Amino acid sequence: MPQVKIPPPYRGPTSGRALIEVPGTSIRECIEAVERECPGFGELVIDATGRLQKFVTLFINGDEVARDDLDAAVRSDDQIEVLAAIAGG
Amino acid sequence: MAGPSGDRLIRVDMGNQTVTIEPFPDEWKMLGGRGLSAKILLAECDPQCDPLGPDNVLVIAPGVLAGTAAPTSGRISIGGKSPLTGGIKEANAGGNPGQDLMKLGYRAIIVKGQPADTDVTFALDVTAEGASVIENPGAKGMWNYALIDYLAESYSDKASFISIGPAGEMQMKGASVACTDQDARRPARHAARGGLGAVMGSKGLKYVSIEAGGSRVRQPAEKKDFAAMCKKYTKGYLDGPQMFKYGTSSITSVANMLNTFPYKNRTEGQSPDIKTLDGKNIVESFESRGGGMHNCLTGCIVQCSNIVHDADGNYKTSALEFETLTLLGSNCAIESWDDVADLDRLCDEVGLDTVETGAAIAIYMDSGKMKYGDAEGAKKLLAEIAEGTEVGLAIGNGADATGALTKHHRVPTVRGQALPAWDPRPLKATGLTYASGPMGADHTAGLIVNPGLPEEEWVRKSQEVQMVNAVCDSSGFCQFLQPTLDDIRAFYGAFYGEEISREQIGDQAWQILSDEWEFNERAGWTKIDPMPECIKKDPIGPANLVWDVSQELVSQVYERLEASEELFTSKAAG
Repeated sequence: MPQVKIPPPYRGPTSGRALIEVPGTSIRECIEAVERECPGFGELVIDATGRLQKFVTLFINGDEVARDDLDAAVRSDDQIEVLAAIAGG
Repeated sequence: MAGPSGDRLIRVDMGNQTVTIEPFPDEWKMLGGRGLSAKILLAECDPQCDPLGPDNVLVIAPGVLAGTAAPTSGRISIGGKSPLTGGIKEANAGGNPGQDLMKLGYRAIIVKGQPADTDVTFALDVTAEGASVIENPGAKGMWNYALIDYLAESYSDKASFISIGPAGEMQMKGASVACTDQDARRPARHAARGGLGAVMGSKGLKYVSIEAGGSRVRQPAEKKDFAAMCKKYTKGYLDGPQMFKYGTSSITSVANMLNTFPYKNRTEGQSPDIKTLDGKNIVESFESRGGGMHNCLTGCIVQCSNIVHDADGNYKTSALEFETLTLLGSNCAIESWDDVADLDRLCDEVGLDTVETGAAIAIYMDSGKMKYGDAEGAKKLLAEIAEGTEVGLAIGNGADATGALTKHHRVPTVRGQALPAWDPRPLKATGLTYASGPMGADHTAGLIVNPGLPEEEWVRKSQEVQMVNAVCDSSGFCQFLQPTLDDIRAFYGAFYGEEISREQIGDQAWQILSDEWEFNERAGWTKIDPMPECIKKDPIGPANLVWDVSQELVSQVYERLEASEELFTSKAAG
């Protein structure tokens, strides 16, 4: 199954888990699967209109995913990495 | 006179307004910024002194790599005994003074003493030839932006400035130190936390000018290696996601989701005004109003600083950051980012820390003296600070002073300094930084945004990030470049032409914290958890989070843990 790598700021809903294996054939399906397992995670990644949150960047196996490509296909051995811009100021 | 490396120290005695230039000790060559400030203060400042008296020492110290070609490496530290915390304090800023001082070979300015006549306004002029204290009565009482316009008439267009506003001159404990930025030379970059502007004011010093003219970039010992490292590091950053390309204001909405966007004097962790305070409004305003993103210092590749215009397209302020949107916005229930931009400009003008000031205004509102959300009232309050009214003095002196004036019970400060936006209730490891760190409640000393971090990891993570940030703030690198200790030791090695081991850089990190802790212990700090009652008792978020971390964990941060791989590969985070 594809893996979703959770960034530290988003590990509240995942109770500290950094890597979660979920069923899914697209990025969106995988994020939704994590949401079902860890309620509260999904809204941190995808906004109410179904688009990628502005402060999030996604990678598949290290390659950046276009912001409007949430429905990109993923294989069972792919790793989706969620990066979140969080720092002070 | 220069040291073996060609570098120098400027010593200023404001008692008699004399300056001496000394060689910079070679054994300190890899100390700059925060680490150098700590070393000087521990050796030369009585920790028991009155922070606003003649025995306090003001240290102005650029980072080790300032003035070099290393990307985003020109930050400057301001250090001294804090009038807010009573302990050692370092606050750093961008802008160009750090770059310019280092291009001239000045590793630090150490200011001691106090003029007998407190009505005289002094300045320090720094050039390649030396430095001198001058009188400039025309600068007295000027707000920061007007001051820089006024100084433009007397100095070259290449000069950079470090200045204080009226709050600093009036020795208010919330006062900041402003540095001019690289492009429009605006006094928009502030070493804000801890009230070091009041220390500068207590020395009678209104501003420092630095005329670097055509000075060259500092040359490394290993030119090819250093150049290759700069190129590789820059490419790596620019090819990456560039997480701060829209500035820190873009994280407001995620902070709100994480219950660390304090609302109404921290009685809640989320704001109903998140849509109108969201930093994306600022980015969207660039198209209709102008403004945009820029680099605050020469050689910066992060460009996280926004320039905010008003509805007529005129410059309003820079940079409007996450902390300011939170403390002056959400925490005061002020819902418009445009109003917060006005308040930010006023703080920069008067010369105040937006965190301390926002916390103070929220306490004033929470006490019932002003309605929550009264943006115009808050603006009037800031103007009153410069006028020195009773309320103005309290707000200018910070959250504790405002709590005392209003006799209000809810005062969210740690060791006299207001908590920043990042809340210790959902972010326990960050709370450990506030409780144990020598800087007190300062997120830039060690921010850990990981609400799911297991309890057994809190101590290690807080200690590691405090160590990484202590070295980062000594290097001149901006925390938003996110260098690791491995990165920094590689740059130091190529610059000085010697191998710097992991053990050496780890020891330096620990030594900086140890120097600061020792200063604080001599000043009277204890290791007892200083978190305020309101943070222990007022719950936030659906999980009703309070600060409930044990004293045992707080005490453990002071004991050095065995270095892990992560210590050297973790990115600076503040």
